[in-house]
Amino acid sequence: MSTYLSQVWVIVWKDLVLEMRSRERIAAMGAFAVLAGVLFNFSIDTTTTRPQDVASGLIWMTLIFGGLLGVGRTFHLEAQDGALQGVLMSPAPKDAVFLAKTAANFVLLYVVSLLVLGVFGLFFGLDLGPNLGWVVVVLGLGALGFVALGTLFAAVSTGTNMGETLLPVLVFPLLVPMVIYGVGTTTRLINGRPFDEVEGNVRMLGAFALAAVAAGAVLFRYVVED
Amino acid sequence: MTDEVSPSADTLGLEKIDRDEIDHSNGVVLQAEGLRRDYGSVVAVDGVDLTMEEGEFLTIFGPNGAGKSSLLGMLGGGMRPTAGTVRVRGQALSFSEHDWQHRIGMLSHRGFLYGRLTVEENLRFYGTLFGLRDLDERVPARLARVGLAERARFEVRQLSHGMRQRLSLARALLHDPDVVLLDEPYTGLDPSAAGVLRSVLGELRDGRRTVVMVTHNLREGLAMATRLAVQVSGRFAWEGSNQGLGREEFERHYHDVVEGRV
Repeated sequence: MSTYLSQVWVIVWKDLVLEMRSRERIAAMGAFAVLAGVLFNFSIDTTTTRPQDVASGLIWMTLIFGGLLGVGRTFHLEAQDGALQGVLMSPAPKDAVFLAKTAANFVLLYVVSLLVLGVFGLFFGLDLGPNLGWVVVVLGLGALGFVALGTLFAAVSTGTNMGETLLPVLVFPLLVPMVIYGVGTTTRLINGRPFDEVEGNVRMLGAFALAAVAAGAVLFRYVVED
Repeated sequence: MTDEVSPSADTLGLEKIDRDEIDHSNGVVLQAEGLRRDYGSVVAVDGVDLTMEEGEFLTIFGPNGAGKSSLLGMLGGGMRPTAGTVRVRGQALSFSEHDWQHRIGMLSHRGFLYGRLTVEENLRFYGTLFGLRDLDERVPARLARVGLAERARFEVRQLSHGMRQRLSLARALLHDPDVVLLDEPYTGLDPSAAGVLRSVLGELRDGRRTVVMVTHNLREGLAMATRLAVQVSGRFAWEGSNQGLGREEFERHYHDVVEGRV
């Protein structure tokens, strides 16, 4: 394995091991997902509204708000005992650090997104049928784009006095394209429309995710340099 | 430290360094020129020049707020100077390059450790970041050297402050750096932990490494150093070689320097 990949891998490993031992972020995101699903279930009048028409919007909002709970604390892992400075003073390229932090966040958020899908599927009685696989892919692309932007701006907000409260202000405006394509695509898939109909949207989601990852990898060093 | 009024540096026999007379033929390892660091309107480091050769051990003393940690941060490449440059073996520290980090090891007053990783995992993590290939041999050897071999499987949060400080030292030296930067390494250590630290730091005086230590501990600082500096208000108010100075002599001189009498 090249040194670069080893550096990326060891940071991913470290973040996931720390999360497995503390369960701080996954517990907060998971609890939020379940509670949001329960509350949204009671907030919809199913005699006037078809659950499958509103479910995708609620799924994506739950994913984004729940994701903020976890992604916002990305660098709190590092803040203790100044470990981020230790990482940044190592020869690991800054883009490797960003890609690793993004990958670790993606794993966590993707697990949560599957939980969200399960919770909403249960409470809203969604029958995804043959489109289940594509919904899982679409949520994965959304999660990737979100964590890329979230990780970058979490680094920004961690270094400010406003901390995590600044994160949604910075991230939400940039998520608009992802929400438009993600919600539209998921709604059609939940309603049993064929994949051909949403293929263009899925490509746009993929392009958004890749652009967010690339932009984050380039910009991260300017954010973390003291 | 005492507040006793003392004679001047000359009467104490302290040899003040004349920069123009320094012979750098042995090879400059660490060089800083015009280093300055501002925090808004506060100037923490104000135009420090420093040239160090292989094997030199510089101890920097100074009152709180003198800018010692900021200077060390810039020398280690972890903090961007407002002005000035740092070179290690002629290579300028640049945030876009990823080579000079191999040459620098830093023990900060923060340990750079992960509390929920084990002692061994912390060293393996940093070793991988530094691209070290022999971690199976290197990590146990370094842990044994700092007396933590039996704690290898302990999570760092379970360690005492002194043990964490020793682990931080093992982390800082894991990649065999040419330049070692130590920020208050003796703070909060009991005599036993200080003894281990002293022993390891003594090994750094092997003629191969260049060491810069910031400390308030006069006894330890004088024992290790080949060169001394007193930093006041962001500048080196005094620099000199350490030629068998007694602690009390230097302490008096230190007060003179800090209070502007020299």
